[in-house]
Amino acid sequence: MIELKDLTKKFGEQTAVDHVNLTIETGEFFGLLGPNGAGKTTTISMLSTVLLPTAGEILLDGKPLTRRASAEKRKISVITQEFSMRQDMTVQEVMEYQGRLYYMKKAEIREKTEQLLTFTDLIDHRKKTVRYLSGGMKRKLMVCRGLMTDPDVLLLDEPTAGMDAIARRQMWALLRRINNRKMTIILTTHYMEEAEALCDRVALINKGKLGEVDSPAALIDALGKYAVDLVTEDDTKSVYFKTREEAIAYLETIPSEAAAGSADAASKAHASLRNTTLEDVFVERIGRRLTVR
Amino acid sequence: MGILAVLWEKWTEFKRDFYKITVAALVSPLLYLIVFGFGIQTTSHGEPYLNFLIPGIVSMATMTGSFSAVAQNMSVQRLYEKALDQVMISPTPLWQFIVGQIIGGSLRGLYAGCMILLLTSPIRTGLIFNGWTFLIMFLNGMVFSTFALVLSFLAKSYTDAPRYNAYLIVPMSFLCNTFFSIDQMPGGFRQFINALPLSQASGMIRAISANGSLDGLFVTGEYPYGWAGLLILLAYLVVFSLLSFVFIYKKKNL
Repeated sequence: MIELKDLTKKFGEQTAVDHVNLTIETGEFFGLLGPNGAGKTTTISMLSTVLLPTAGEILLDGKPLTRRASAEKRKISVITQEFSMRQDMTVQEVMEYQGRLYYMKKAEIREKTEQLLTFTDLIDHRKKTVRYLSGGMKRKLMVCRGLMTDPDVLLLDEPTAGMDAIARRQMWALLRRINNRKMTIILTTHYMEEAEALCDRVALINKGKLGEVDSPAALIDALGKYAVDLVTEDDTKSVYFKTREEAIAYLETIPSEAAAGSADAASKAHASLRNTTLEDVFVERIGRRLTVR
Repeated sequence: MGILAVLWEKWTEFKRDFYKITVAALVSPLLYLIVFGFGIQTTSHGEPYLNFLIPGIVSMATMTGSFSAVAQNMSVQRLYEKALDQVMISPTPLWQFIVGQIIGGSLRGLYAGCMILLLTSPIRTGLIFNGWTFLIMFLNGMVFSTFALVLSFLAKSYTDAPRYNAYLIVPMSFLCNTFFSIDQMPGGFRQFINALPLSQASGMIRAISANGSLDGLFVTGEYPYGWAGLLILLAYLVVFSLLSFVFIYKKKNL
Protein backbone atom coordinates (compact mmCIF):
# COMPACT_ATOMS: atom_id res chain seq x y z
CA MET A 1 0.00 0.00 0.00
CA ILE A 2 1.23 3.47 -0.87
CA GLU A 3 0.15 6.46 1.17
CA LEU A 4 0.79 10.07 0.24
CA LYS A 5 0.34 12.16 3.35
CA ASP A 6 -0.04 15.89 2.93
CA LEU A 7 2.50 15.67 0.13
CA THR A 8 3.66 19.10 -1.00
CA LYS A 9 6.32 20.21 -3.43
CA LYS A 10 7.27 23.79 -4.08
CA PHE A 11 9.71 25.17 -6.62
CA GLY A 12 10.43 28.61 -5.28
CA GLU A 13 7.11 30.39 -5.01
CA GLN A 14 5.34 27.94 -7.28
CA THR A 15 3.49 25.04 -5.67
CA ALA A 16 3.65 22.03 -7.98
CA VAL A 17 1.97 19.55 -5.61
CA ASP A 18 -0.29 20.97 -2.96
CA HIS A 19 -1.07 18.94 0.20
CA VAL A 20 -2.00 15.74 -1.62
CA ASN A 21 -3.48 12.93 0.48
CA LEU A 22 -3.98 9.64 -1.28
CA THR A 23 -3.94 5.92 -0.56
CA ILE A 24 -3.26 3.36 -3.27
CA GLU A 25 -3.98 -0.24 -2.41
CA THR A 26 -1.66 -3.15 -3.17
CA GLY A 27 -2.35 -4.59 -6.63
CA GLU A 28 -4.33 -1.56 -7.74
CA PHE A 29 -3.93 -0.02 -11.20
CA PHE A 30 -4.15 3.64 -10.38
CA GLY A 31 -4.26 6.56 -12.81
CA LEU A 32 -3.17 10.12 -12.15
CA LEU A 33 -4.84 12.40 -14.66
CA GLY A 34 -4.23 16.06 -15.19
CA PRO A 35 -3.32 18.66 -17.77
CA ASN A 36 0.25 19.70 -18.48
CA GLY A 37 1.85 21.20 -15.39
CA ALA A 38 -0.75 19.65 -13.08
CA GLY A 39 1.89 18.02 -10.87
CA LYS A 40 1.73 14.43 -12.15
CA THR A 41 5.39 14.05 -13.06
CA THR A 42 6.44 15.90 -9.90
CA THR A 43 4.44 13.36 -7.87
CA ILE A 44 6.08 10.45 -9.71
CA SER A 45 9.49 12.07 -9.18
CA MET A 46 8.82 12.25 -5.45
CA LEU A 47 7.70 8.62 -5.45
CA SER A 48 10.99 7.74 -7.12
CA THR A 49 12.87 9.97 -4.62
CA VAL A 50 14.50 12.03 -7.38
CA LEU A 51 12.66 14.99 -5.86
CA LEU A 52 12.24 15.36 -2.12
CA PRO A 53 8.94 16.73 -0.82
CA THR A 54 8.85 20.24 0.63
CA ALA A 55 6.38 18.89 3.19
CA GLY A 56 4.51 15.68 3.89
CA GLU A 57 5.67 12.13 3.33
CA ILE A 58 5.24 8.99 1.30
CA LEU A 59 4.75 5.65 3.01
CA LEU A 60 5.24 2.33 1.30
CA ASP A 61 3.74 -0.55 3.26
CA GLY A 62 3.74 1.73 6.28
CA LYS A 63 7.41 2.72 6.02
CA PRO A 64 8.69 6.12 4.89
CA LEU A 65 9.99 6.15 1.33
CA THR A 66 13.21 8.16 1.43
CA ARG A 67 16.49 8.13 -0.44
CA ARG A 68 17.98 6.00 2.32
CA ALA A 69 15.17 3.42 2.30
CA SER A 70 16.91 0.75 0.22
CA ALA A 71 14.50 -2.03 1.24
CA GLU A 72 11.49 0.04 0.16
CA LYS A 73 13.17 1.22 -3.02
CA ARG A 74 13.86 -2.41 -3.93
CA LYS A 75 10.09 -2.82 -4.36
CA ILE A 76 9.74 0.03 -6.85
CA SER A 77 10.52 0.47 -10.50
CA VAL A 78 9.91 3.59 -12.50
CA ILE A 79 9.33 4.14 -16.18
CA THR A 80 9.83 7.82 -16.69
CA GLN A 81 8.38 10.07 -19.34
CA GLU A 82 11.83 10.76 -20.74
CA PHE A 83 14.12 7.99 -21.92
CA SER A 84 16.10 8.15 -18.72
CA MET A 85 18.98 5.84 -19.54
CA ARG A 86 22.51 5.98 -20.83
CA GLN A 87 22.19 6.70 -24.53
CA ASP A 88 25.64 5.30 -25.25
CA MET A 89 24.94 1.88 -23.75
CA THR A 90 23.60 -1.06 -25.71
CA VAL A 91 20.17 -2.51 -24.95
CA GLN A 92 21.82 -5.43 -23.19
CA GLU A 93 24.06 -3.17 -21.12
CA VAL A 94 21.10 -1.07 -19.98
CA MET A 95 19.44 -4.24 -18.72
CA GLU A 96 22.60 -5.51 -17.06
CA TYR A 97 23.24 -2.21 -15.30
CA GLN A 98 19.70 -2.27 -13.94
CA GLY A 99 20.17 -5.83 -12.72
CA ARG A 100 23.45 -4.95 -11.06
CA LEU A 101 21.97 -1.92 -9.32
CA TYR A 102 19.33 -4.26 -7.88
CA TYR A 103 21.89 -6.87 -6.78
CA MET A 104 20.64 -9.53 -9.17
CA LYS A 105 22.84 -12.52 -9.91
CA LYS A 106 24.51 -12.69 -13.33
CA ALA A 107 22.57 -15.78 -14.42
CA GLU A 108 19.32 -14.18 -13.31
CA ILE A 109 20.16 -10.99 -15.23
CA ARG A 110 20.88 -13.00 -18.37
CA GLU A 111 17.71 -15.06 -18.10
CA LYS A 112 15.46 -12.11 -17.34
CA THR A 113 16.99 -9.97 -20.08
CA GLU A 114 16.45 -12.72 -22.64
CA GLN A 115 12.88 -13.24 -21.48
CA LEU A 116 11.88 -9.56 -21.47
CA LEU A 117 13.60 -8.63 -24.71
CA THR A 118 11.95 -11.58 -26.43
CA PHE A 119 8.60 -10.61 -24.95
CA THR A 120 8.89 -7.09 -26.36
CA ASP A 121 10.50 -8.08 -29.69
CA LEU A 122 13.73 -6.28 -28.83
CA ILE A 123 15.86 -9.40 -28.71
CA ASP A 124 17.29 -8.83 -32.21
CA HIS A 125 18.31 -5.31 -31.19
CA ARG A 126 20.09 -6.22 -27.97
CA LYS A 127 23.49 -5.18 -29.25
CA LYS A 128 22.23 -1.85 -30.59
CA THR A 129 23.19 1.37 -28.87
CA VAL A 130 20.21 3.07 -27.25
CA ARG A 131 20.62 6.29 -29.22
CA TYR A 132 20.07 4.39 -32.46
CA LEU A 133 16.74 2.88 -31.37
CA SER A 134 13.42 4.33 -32.51
CA GLY A 135 11.23 6.13 -29.96
CA GLY A 136 8.91 3.12 -29.69
CA MET A 137 11.83 0.76 -29.11
CA LYS A 138 13.26 3.02 -26.43
CA ARG A 139 9.87 3.05 -24.74
CA LYS A 140 9.77 -0.75 -24.82
CA LEU A 141 13.26 -0.89 -23.42
CA MET A 142 12.17 1.37 -20.58
CA VAL A 143 9.39 -1.10 -19.82
CA CYS A 144 11.80 -4.05 -19.98
CA ARG A 145 14.14 -2.26 -17.61
CA GLY A 146 11.26 -1.45 -15.28
CA LEU A 147 10.15 -5.08 -15.18
CA MET A 148 13.66 -6.50 -14.91
CA THR A 149 13.58 -6.50 -11.13
CA ASP A 150 10.07 -7.90 -10.57
CA PRO A 151 8.91 -4.81 -8.67
CA ASP A 152 5.90 -4.73 -6.38
CA VAL A 153 5.16 -1.19 -7.49
CA LEU A 154 5.57 0.13 -11.01
CA LEU A 155 5.47 3.88 -11.62
CA LEU A 156 4.59 4.75 -15.20
CA ASP A 157 4.92 8.34 -16.27
CA GLU A 158 3.24 8.76 -19.66
CA PRO A 159 4.36 5.31 -20.81
CA THR A 160 2.75 5.54 -24.24
CA ALA A 161 3.65 9.13 -25.06
CA GLY A 162 4.67 9.37 -28.71
CA MET A 163 3.58 5.82 -29.54
CA ASP A 164 1.38 5.06 -32.53
CA ALA A 165 -2.09 3.56 -31.98
CA ILE A 166 -0.97 -0.04 -32.54
CA ALA A 167 2.06 0.20 -30.28
CA ARG A 168 -0.11 1.85 -27.63
CA ARG A 169 -2.61 -1.01 -27.74
CA GLN A 170 0.26 -3.51 -27.44
CA MET A 171 1.53 -1.62 -24.42
CA TRP A 172 -1.92 -1.70 -22.82
CA ALA A 173 -2.08 -5.47 -23.29
CA LEU A 174 1.35 -5.77 -21.70
CA LEU A 175 0.37 -3.59 -18.74
CA ARG A 176 -2.83 -5.56 -18.18
CA ARG A 177 -0.83 -8.77 -18.08
CA ILE A 178 1.57 -7.26 -15.59
CA ASN A 179 -1.24 -6.02 -13.39
CA ASN A 180 -2.74 -9.52 -13.36
CA ARG A 181 0.33 -10.51 -11.34
CA LYS A 182 -0.91 -8.20 -8.56
CA MET A 183 1.65 -5.56 -9.16
CA THR A 184 0.62 -2.10 -8.01
CA ILE A 185 0.76 0.26 -10.96
CA ILE A 186 0.59 4.04 -10.83
CA LEU A 187 0.10 5.57 -14.23
CA THR A 188 0.12 9.17 -15.36
CA THR A 189 -1.27 9.80 -18.78
CA HIS A 190 -2.73 12.38 -21.10
CA TYR A 191 -4.72 9.72 -22.91
CA MET A 192 -8.07 9.41 -21.20
CA GLU A 193 -9.03 6.28 -23.11
CA GLU A 194 -5.85 4.73 -21.74
CA ALA A 195 -6.82 5.48 -18.15
CA GLU A 196 -10.36 4.32 -18.82
CA ALA A 197 -9.17 1.08 -20.36
CA LEU A 198 -6.57 0.26 -17.74
CA CYS A 199 -7.17 1.86 -14.37
CA ASP A 200 -9.16 0.54 -11.43
CA ARG A 201 -9.26 4.04 -10.00
CA VAL A 202 -8.15 7.43 -11.19
CA ALA A 203 -7.42 10.72 -9.48
CA LEU A 204 -7.86 14.07 -11.15
CA ILE A 205 -5.09 16.49 -10.38
CA ASN A 206 -4.90 20.12 -11.41
CA LYS A 207 -2.52 22.89 -10.36
CA GLY A 208 -1.07 20.50 -7.80
CA LYS A 209 -4.35 19.88 -6.05
CA LEU A 210 -6.02 16.50 -5.99
CA GLY A 211 -9.64 16.46 -7.15
CA GLU A 212 -11.96 13.51 -7.35
CA VAL A 213 -10.64 10.00 -6.82
CA ASP A 214 -12.79 7.12 -7.98
CA SER A 215 -13.15 4.42 -10.59
CA PRO A 216 -13.58 5.66 -14.17
CA ALA A 217 -17.09 4.16 -14.25
CA ALA A 218 -18.10 5.90 -11.03
CA LEU A 219 -16.75 9.23 -12.25
CA ILE A 220 -18.64 8.84 -15.53
CA ASP A 221 -21.82 7.87 -13.66
CA ALA A 222 -21.53 10.91 -11.45
CA LEU A 223 -21.33 13.18 -14.49
CA GLY A 224 -24.02 11.30 -16.44
CA LYS A 225 -23.56 8.25 -18.62
CA TYR A 226 -24.97 9.91 -21.73
CA ALA A 227 -23.70 13.02 -23.45
CA VAL A 228 -25.35 15.20 -26.02
CA ASP A 229 -22.93 17.26 -28.08
CA LEU A 230 -24.38 20.40 -29.47
CA VAL A 231 -22.16 21.84 -32.17
CA THR A 232 -22.83 25.26 -33.61
CA GLU A 233 -20.64 27.35 -35.84
CA ASP A 234 -18.98 29.11 -32.95
CA ASP A 235 -19.36 26.78 -29.99
CA THR A 236 -19.35 23.15 -28.95
CA LYS A 237 -21.22 22.22 -25.85
CA SER A 238 -21.79 18.87 -24.16
CA VAL A 239 -24.69 18.21 -21.85
CA TYR A 240 -24.75 15.10 -19.64
CA PHE A 241 -27.66 12.91 -18.56
CA LYS A 242 -28.12 10.03 -16.16
CA THR A 243 -30.42 8.10 -18.51
CA ARG A 244 -30.72 7.65 -22.23
CA GLU A 245 -34.36 8.75 -22.10
CA GLU A 246 -33.44 12.08 -20.56
CA ALA A 247 -30.77 12.60 -23.22
CA ILE A 248 -33.21 11.80 -26.05
CA ALA A 249 -35.81 14.13 -24.56
CA TYR A 250 -33.19 16.89 -24.50
CA LEU A 251 -32.19 16.15 -28.08
CA GLU A 252 -35.77 16.75 -29.17
CA THR A 253 -35.67 20.23 -27.69
CA ILE A 254 -32.49 21.25 -29.43
CA PRO A 255 -33.78 22.71 -32.74
CA SER A 256 -36.03 25.16 -30.93
CA GLU A 257 -33.31 26.01 -28.38
CA ALA A 258 -30.82 26.73 -31.14
CA ALA A 259 -33.39 28.72 -33.06
CA ALA A 260 -33.84 30.93 -30.06
CA GLY A 261 -30.26 32.14 -30.56
CA SER A 262 -30.45 33.10 -34.21
CA ALA A 263 -31.92 31.70 -37.36
CA ASP A 264 -28.49 31.41 -38.89
CA ALA A 265 -27.05 29.48 -35.95
CA ALA A 266 -30.02 27.13 -35.93
CA SER A 267 -29.52 26.28 -39.56
CA LYS A 268 -25.90 25.25 -38.90
CA ALA A 269 -26.33 23.56 -35.49
CA HIS A 270 -26.27 19.82 -35.13
CA ALA A 271 -26.48 17.55 -32.11
CA SER A 272 -25.53 13.98 -31.37
CA LEU A 273 -25.97 11.49 -28.58
CA ARG A 274 -23.13 9.34 -27.31
CA ASN A 275 -21.78 7.62 -24.20
CA THR A 276 -19.90 9.82 -21.76
CA THR A 277 -16.20 9.11 -21.56
CA LEU A 278 -13.55 9.76 -18.97
CA GLU A 279 -12.33 12.55 -21.20
CA ASP A 280 -15.68 14.30 -20.63
CA VAL A 281 -15.19 13.95 -16.89
CA PHE A 282 -11.67 15.33 -17.24
CA VAL A 283 -12.78 18.28 -19.35
CA GLU A 284 -15.70 19.12 -17.09
CA ARG A 285 -13.87 18.70 -13.79
CA ILE A 286 -10.61 20.28 -14.80
CA GLY A 287 -12.61 23.13 -16.23
CA ARG A 288 -11.33 23.19 -19.77
CA ARG A 289 -14.43 23.55 -21.86
CA LEU A 290 -14.57 22.16 -25.34
CA THR A 291 -15.00 25.63 -26.68
CA VAL A 292 -13.82 26.55 -30.13
CA ARG A 293 -13.40 30.27 -30.62
CA MET B 1 27.52 -4.31 -3.94
CA GLY B 2 26.50 -1.04 -5.57
CA ILE B 3 30.11 0.11 -5.87
CA LEU B 4 30.78 -2.81 -8.22
CA ALA B 5 27.74 -1.93 -10.33
CA VAL B 6 29.09 1.61 -10.82
CA LEU B 7 32.58 0.30 -11.55
CA TRP B 8 31.09 -2.11 -14.09
CA GLU B 9 29.34 0.84 -15.75
CA LYS B 10 32.63 2.77 -15.84
CA TRP B 11 34.47 -0.25 -17.22
CA THR B 12 31.84 -0.67 -19.95
CA GLU B 13 32.29 2.98 -20.86
CA PHE B 14 36.07 2.62 -20.85
CA LYS B 15 36.02 -0.43 -23.12
CA ARG B 16 33.62 1.23 -25.54
CA ASP B 17 35.48 4.55 -25.73
CA PHE B 18 38.98 3.18 -25.20
CA TYR B 19 40.61 5.01 -28.12
CA LYS B 20 38.80 8.28 -27.51
CA ILE B 21 39.65 8.21 -23.81
CA THR B 22 43.27 7.33 -24.45
CA VAL B 23 43.81 9.97 -27.10
CA ALA B 24 42.04 12.64 -25.02
CA ALA B 25 44.21 11.75 -22.02
CA LEU B 26 47.42 12.00 -24.01
CA VAL B 27 47.11 14.90 -26.43
CA SER B 28 47.58 17.88 -24.08
CA PRO B 29 50.20 16.30 -21.78
CA LEU B 30 52.24 15.13 -24.76
CA LEU B 31 52.11 18.57 -26.35
CA TYR B 32 53.32 20.12 -23.10
CA LEU B 33 56.12 17.58 -22.87
CA ILE B 34 57.21 18.19 -26.44
CA VAL B 35 56.99 21.98 -26.31
CA PHE B 36 58.30 22.65 -22.81
CA GLY B 37 60.34 19.53 -22.20
CA PHE B 38 62.06 18.97 -25.51
CA GLY B 39 61.49 22.20 -27.43
CA ILE B 40 62.57 24.65 -24.74
CA GLN B 41 65.40 22.78 -23.07
CA THR B 42 66.52 24.34 -19.85
CA THR B 43 67.29 23.47 -16.26
CA SER B 44 65.38 23.87 -13.02
CA HIS B 45 66.86 23.59 -9.52
CA GLY B 46 70.06 22.41 -11.14
CA GLU B 47 68.33 19.51 -12.88
CA PRO B 48 67.17 19.14 -16.49
CA TYR B 49 63.79 20.84 -16.78
CA LEU B 50 62.29 17.57 -18.00
CA ASN B 51 62.88 16.12 -14.52
CA PHE B 52 60.77 18.91 -13.07
CA LEU B 53 58.18 18.74 -15.82
CA ILE B 54 57.40 15.01 -15.98
CA PRO B 55 56.07 14.68 -12.38
CA GLY B 56 53.99 17.84 -12.97
CA ILE B 57 52.55 16.50 -16.21
CA VAL B 58 51.77 13.15 -14.57
CA SER B 59 49.85 14.92 -11.77
CA MET B 60 48.06 17.10 -14.27
CA ALA B 61 47.08 14.11 -16.43
CA THR B 62 45.76 12.35 -13.33
CA MET B 63 43.71 15.40 -12.43
CA THR B 64 42.21 16.02 -15.87
CA GLY B 65 41.61 12.30 -16.49
CA SER B 66 39.66 11.89 -13.25
CA PHE B 67 37.83 15.18 -13.48
CA SER B 68 36.62 14.70 -17.02
CA ALA B 69 35.65 11.07 -16.39
CA VAL B 70 33.17 12.20 -13.74
CA ALA B 71 32.17 15.81 -14.47
CA GLN B 72 30.97 15.46 -18.04
CA ASN B 73 29.46 12.06 -17.47
CA MET B 74 27.53 12.95 -14.32
CA SER B 75 26.27 16.27 -15.66
CA VAL B 76 24.92 14.60 -18.79
CA GLN B 77 23.43 11.72 -16.78
CA ARG B 78 21.77 14.04 -14.30
CA LEU B 79 20.59 16.87 -16.50
CA TYR B 80 20.33 15.58 -20.05
CA GLU B 81 19.85 11.81 -20.15
CA LYS B 82 18.22 11.73 -16.70
CA ALA B 83 19.96 8.39 -16.28
CA LEU B 84 20.70 9.27 -12.66
CA ASP B 85 17.00 8.64 -11.94
CA GLN B 86 17.68 4.94 -12.52
CA VAL B 87 20.22 5.02 -9.72
CA MET B 88 18.14 7.17 -7.38
CA ILE B 89 15.21 4.75 -7.34
CA SER B 90 17.38 1.64 -7.16
CA PRO B 91 18.13 -0.02 -3.81
CA THR B 92 21.84 0.69 -4.28
CA PRO B 93 22.76 2.91 -1.32
CA LEU B 94 23.61 6.31 -2.70
CA TRP B 95 26.88 6.48 -0.75
CA GLN B 96 27.99 3.41 -2.67
CA PHE B 97 27.14 5.15 -5.91
CA ILE B 98 29.30 8.10 -4.85
CA VAL B 99 32.18 5.86 -3.78
CA GLY B 100 31.91 3.96 -7.08
CA GLN B 101 32.11 7.21 -9.00
CA ILE B 102 35.14 8.36 -7.00
CA ILE B 103 37.03 5.10 -7.46
CA GLY B 104 36.04 4.80 -11.12
CA GLY B 105 37.06 8.39 -11.84
CA SER B 106 40.31 7.95 -9.98
CA LEU B 107 41.16 4.82 -11.95
CA ARG B 108 40.66 6.77 -15.15
CA GLY B 109 43.05 9.44 -13.84
CA LEU B 110 45.51 6.75 -12.86
CA TYR B 111 45.29 5.33 -16.36
CA ALA B 112 46.03 8.76 -17.89
CA GLY B 113 49.00 9.27 -15.55
CA CYS B 114 50.33 5.78 -16.24
CA MET B 115 50.18 6.41 -19.98
CA ILE B 116 52.43 9.45 -19.51
CA LEU B 117 54.82 7.41 -17.38
CA LEU B 118 54.86 4.70 -20.04
CA LEU B 119 55.52 7.15 -22.85
CA THR B 120 58.30 8.94 -20.99
CA SER B 121 59.90 5.73 -19.71
CA PRO B 122 62.39 5.48 -22.61
CA ILE B 123 63.81 8.90 -21.65
CA ARG B 124 66.77 8.54 -19.30
CA THR B 125 65.85 10.95 -16.54
CA GLY B 126 66.83 8.98 -13.45
CA LEU B 127 63.42 9.78 -11.96
CA ILE B 128 61.99 7.23 -9.54
CA PHE B 129 58.37 6.13 -9.83
CA ASN B 130 57.21 3.55 -7.34
CA GLY B 131 54.19 2.48 -5.29
CA TRP B 132 54.12 5.83 -3.53
CA THR B 133 53.83 7.57 -6.89
CA PHE B 134 50.80 5.48 -7.78
CA LEU B 135 49.28 6.07 -4.38
CA ILE B 136 49.57 9.85 -4.80
CA MET B 137 48.21 9.62 -8.35
CA PHE B 138 45.26 7.58 -7.13
CA LEU B 139 44.60 9.93 -4.23
CA ASN B 140 44.88 12.97 -6.50
CA GLY B 141 42.43 11.28 -8.87
CA MET B 142 40.02 10.65 -5.99
CA VAL B 143 40.16 14.30 -4.95
CA PHE B 144 39.37 15.53 -8.45
CA SER B 145 36.68 12.87 -9.08
CA THR B 146 34.96 14.03 -5.91
CA PHE B 147 35.43 17.67 -6.88
CA ALA B 148 33.81 16.83 -10.24
CA LEU B 149 30.90 15.17 -8.44
CA VAL B 150 30.29 18.26 -6.32
CA LEU B 151 30.38 20.52 -9.36
CA SER B 152 28.10 18.26 -11.38
CA PHE B 153 25.53 18.34 -8.56
CA LEU B 154 25.75 22.14 -8.65
CA ALA B 155 25.47 22.31 -12.44
CA LYS B 156 22.30 23.87 -13.80
CA SER B 157 22.94 22.68 -17.35
CA TYR B 158 25.01 19.84 -18.78
CA THR B 159 27.01 22.46 -20.68
CA ASP B 160 28.33 23.70 -17.33
CA ALA B 161 30.91 20.88 -17.21
CA PRO B 162 33.13 22.36 -19.96
CA ARG B 163 32.84 25.74 -18.21
CA TYR B 164 34.04 24.30 -14.92
CA ASN B 165 36.90 22.80 -16.83
CA ALA B 166 37.79 26.16 -18.39
CA TYR B 167 37.42 28.17 -15.17
CA LEU B 168 38.94 25.78 -12.65
CA ILE B 169 40.86 22.89 -14.14
CA VAL B 170 42.76 24.69 -16.89
CA PRO B 171 44.10 27.42 -14.54
CA MET B 172 45.12 24.78 -12.01
CA SER B 173 46.86 22.82 -14.77
CA PHE B 174 49.16 25.73 -15.42
CA LEU B 175 49.55 27.30 -12.01
CA CYS B 176 49.75 24.41 -9.55
CA ASN B 177 53.40 23.48 -9.44
CA THR B 178 53.20 21.63 -12.75
CA PHE B 179 55.26 23.66 -15.24
CA PHE B 180 57.14 25.88 -12.86
CA SER B 181 57.86 26.22 -9.18
CA ILE B 182 55.45 28.52 -7.39
CA ASP B 183 58.33 30.34 -5.59
CA GLN B 184 58.16 33.36 -7.85
CA MET B 185 54.49 34.01 -7.24
CA PRO B 186 53.45 37.00 -5.13
CA GLY B 187 52.90 36.41 -1.39
CA GLY B 188 49.24 35.61 -0.66
CA PHE B 189 48.62 34.14 -4.08
CA ARG B 190 51.55 31.78 -3.61
CA GLN B 191 50.14 30.43 -0.34
CA PHE B 192 46.75 29.99 -1.96
CA ILE B 193 48.14 28.11 -4.96
CA ASN B 194 50.28 25.96 -2.72
CA ALA B 195 47.24 24.92 -0.72
CA LEU B 196 45.51 23.56 -3.83
CA PRO B 197 45.51 19.78 -4.23
CA LEU B 198 47.32 19.69 -7.56
CA SER B 199 50.24 21.71 -6.15
CA GLN B 200 50.56 19.16 -3.38
CA ALA B 201 50.23 16.17 -5.68
CA SER B 202 52.83 17.57 -8.09
CA GLY B 203 55.17 18.37 -5.21
CA MET B 204 54.84 14.92 -3.69
CA ILE B 205 55.28 13.04 -6.99
CA ARG B 206 58.33 15.23 -7.66
CA ALA B 207 59.69 14.49 -4.18
CA ILE B 208 59.23 10.76 -4.69
CA SER B 209 60.77 10.91 -8.18
CA ALA B 210 63.85 12.58 -6.67
CA ASN B 211 64.19 10.63 -3.43
CA GLY B 212 62.20 7.44 -3.84
CA SER B 213 59.97 8.25 -0.89
CA LEU B 214 58.32 11.08 0.95
CA ASP B 215 60.78 10.77 3.83
CA GLY B 216 63.42 12.77 2.06
CA LEU B 217 61.71 16.09 1.49
CA PHE B 218 61.84 17.73 -1.87
CA VAL B 219 62.10 21.44 -1.22
CA THR B 220 61.31 24.11 -3.77
CA GLY B 221 61.87 27.54 -2.25
CA GLU B 222 60.13 27.70 1.08
CA TYR B 223 57.91 24.69 0.40
CA PRO B 224 58.82 21.18 1.43
CA TYR B 225 56.58 18.51 -0.07
CA GLY B 226 56.31 15.54 2.23
CA TRP B 227 53.81 13.64 4.29
CA ALA B 228 51.80 16.78 5.02
CA GLY B 229 50.76 16.79 1.37
CA LEU B 230 49.00 13.45 1.89
CA LEU B 231 47.02 14.95 4.76
CA ILE B 232 46.08 17.95 2.62
CA LEU B 233 44.83 15.68 -0.19
CA LEU B 234 42.92 13.57 2.34
CA ALA B 235 41.34 16.72 3.80
CA TYR B 236 40.13 17.75 0.33
CA LEU B 237 38.82 14.25 -0.26
CA VAL B 238 36.88 14.23 3.01
CA VAL B 239 35.37 17.69 2.42
CA PHE B 240 34.35 17.02 -1.20
CA SER B 241 33.02 13.55 -0.29
CA LEU B 242 30.89 14.99 2.51
CA LEU B 243 29.54 17.62 0.13
CA SER B 244 28.71 14.91 -2.42
CA PHE B 245 26.86 12.88 0.22
CA VAL B 246 24.95 15.95 1.37
CA PHE B 247 23.95 16.73 -2.21
CA ILE B 248 22.84 13.23 -3.14
CA TYR B 249 20.93 12.62 0.08
CA LYS B 250 19.61 16.09 0.85
CA LYS B 251 19.36 18.07 -2.39
CA LYS B 252 15.63 18.58 -2.90
CA ASN B 253 15.70 18.67 -6.69
CA LEU B 254 18.33 16.42 -8.20
